[in-house]
Amino acid sequence: MQLIEKLSILADAAKYDASCASSGAPKRSSEGKAGLGSTDGMGICHSYTPDGRCVSLLKVLLTNFCLYDCQYCVNRRSSDVPRARFSPEEVVTLTLDFYKRNCVSGLFLSSGIIRSADYTMEQLVRVAKLLREEHDFRGYIHLKTIPEADPALIAEAGRYADRLSVNIELPTDASLQTLAPEKQIVSIKQAMQTIYTGEQTVLNEPRAPRFAPAGQSTQMIVGADDTDDSTILHGAEALYGNFKLRRVYYSAFSPIPNSPKSVPLAAPPLMREHRLYQADFLLRSYGFSANELFTGPGHLALDIDPKLAWALEHREVFPLDLNRAEPTLIARIPGIGLRTTQRLVDLRRERKIRFEDLARMRCVLAKAKPFFITSDYHPQQADSTSVLLREQLRDRPQPQQMGLWG
Amino acid sequence: MISLECDNLFSTWREQARWLLSHQVDPSQVSWGEVQAADLFATDEPIPPGLGPFQARIPKALLQLLESAACYHGDQRWSLLYEVLWRVSHGDRTAMLAGDKLGSELQRRIKQVSREAHHLHAFVRFIALPAGAGPQLPEYVAWHEPAHDILKSASEHFIGRMGRHRWMIATPLDGVYYDGEQLIHQRQCPEAWRQLAQNVEDPHSAMWLTYYSHIFNPARLNPKVMEGHLPSRFWKNLPEGKLIPGLISEARTGKQKDGQAKLVGARPGKKILSGHG
Repeated sequence: MQLIEKLSILADAAKYDASCASSGAPKRSSEGKAGLGSTDGMGICHSYTPDGRCVSLLKVLLTNFCLYDCQYCVNRRSSDVPRARFSPEEVVTLTLDFYKRNCVSGLFLSSGIIRSADYTMEQLVRVAKLLREEHDFRGYIHLKTIPEADPALIAEAGRYADRLSVNIELPTDASLQTLAPEKQIVSIKQAMQTIYTGEQTVLNEPRAPRFAPAGQSTQMIVGADDTDDSTILHGAEALYGNFKLRRVYYSAFSPIPNSPKSVPLAAPPLMREHRLYQADFLLRSYGFSANELFTGPGHLALDIDPKLAWALEHREVFPLDLNRAEPTLIARIPGIGLRTTQRLVDLRRERKIRFEDLARMRCVLAKAKPFFITSDYHPQQADSTSVLLREQLRDRPQPQQMGLWG
Repeated sequence: MISLECDNLFSTWREQARWLLSHQVDPSQVSWGEVQAADLFATDEPIPPGLGPFQARIPKALLQLLESAACYHGDQRWSLLYEVLWRVSHGDRTAMLAGDKLGSELQRRIKQVSREAHHLHAFVRFIALPAGAGPQLPEYVAWHEPAHDILKSASEHFIGRMGRHRWMIATPLDGVYYDGEQLIHQRQCPEAWRQLAQNVEDPHSAMWLTYYSHIFNPARLNPKVMEGHLPSRFWKNLPEGKLIPGLISEARTGKQKDGQAKLVGARPGKKILSGHG
């Protein structure tokens, strides 16, 4: 089979993994050196496909032959898809070609399970090793980690890769047993622990060989089972806490060809995925806990963002005086982000904040208005009920073109 | 009224601004012409040659902000900077902060400039010249159309990225060439560079185009978000740009029902019968 045919099959097979980040790597440069590639901590999105997702890395599977029969996966063994397998050298060639064209900032390599977990992991590591040692490649490498693989192989992967990831796949143990019977939550978490331990070992040891300096991430499929958002975000919070994951990626379950009856054949729940990312960001960067976002089981609201939902439930905190409030509280005002918070703090060192200052900053004023006070402004809506405010502030669905799902 | 010309050079503007400030020339009394090659100090008022008595104290960070905002192509490119400098040097630091009317515009320009530098890092597409073109020519060339003056500083990024390779980026305005050891910037892009970058053949583009169309998930079609991140003004210089309309319409006319690319669906599939192959 021609390389280009393999590429079409193995890129198509890899598109269901949402992660594409190329950020978090240490500073590396090839200036004046043999070889190719640099990283500086910032990711670069080299292109965008018409689904609005960024292309940052060459994201392919080494092979989509697979022994497992995970119901949600297009590459499961019972799926009637075209199959292909790259040689490690072919992946290296493609990575270097795309990199020199400035189409990608590196490689994100994953694989179906062939022969055994160890064999598959060895093949993935071999590609990374070839790139680093034979070609002096200093760009970004993200390797998917096969959970059941020998910890020694995972440790080796960590020496070549910037990022490692083990997919948690589904939010609950029960769903994993139903939909991915060959996968074990225990081995998934063991692999995460192995990576976490590897990271901790080299922490503050400048002379130690590096280990996955961009940390580890995972992916959770949303909407293939009926788990609620509360369970999903509590699960994510535990992963951030236990294994210091850099990111949990949520992937709205996207219908697959020859879909088995065990998973939905429906449009991907993109708005739900969007709300989960917003809530996840509140956990990672705004100091929220999952318990603050959920009082019990249930989903995030789709018509308002999770920060607005929290504010509407906690009216006793608001309105906040922007000239006095703690920055962490200002950042809890709907429509005001971390950047605007910093700008307000900078400005109020010089003079009083006025209403019109907000209009000139990049915040969503309509959303923020009921929740703050400035030296010349007190919200009329401060006395409106939350029900009324929600009605005023909720996102109106855009008129949709009749799709195939109508 | 003092009318100045700085040839769109920050270093020249800085000298002029220093002089103006030392003589306490109010921003309303000065303007910078962008096109006419007037005398450096064309004016209807008598101008003392040396520096004046006023000694301005400005925060270090301000100079960097001004230098960055100076790359912005737009109205009042230079006079806006002088107004900021004037206000800050007279004790009003809000002129450099978002929230203030002038400060917000300054910050907006800085943001646009840094975004444009990022666009260069992301959307430049190098094409290899035929092997054996000779050591006097670059190995990789690119044509790029930035909206602001970012090429000189932002292209340094590629020195680390491309190692010892020789590369060149030509734009409608300026150009850079890295000869393997140093970066050469030409404020007027030489015609030969432009020709090279715009006329190069790319016989091996099929791999990247195949990748782009197969990593796209038609079931998640969302062209609005794509255009937000990848403004359409860049499409014409991206090899994948010409695929975009076709992929969108293919998704809208049937391909949206699942994630698979059309060409992959057309191939024979293969189930794996044994769980222990």
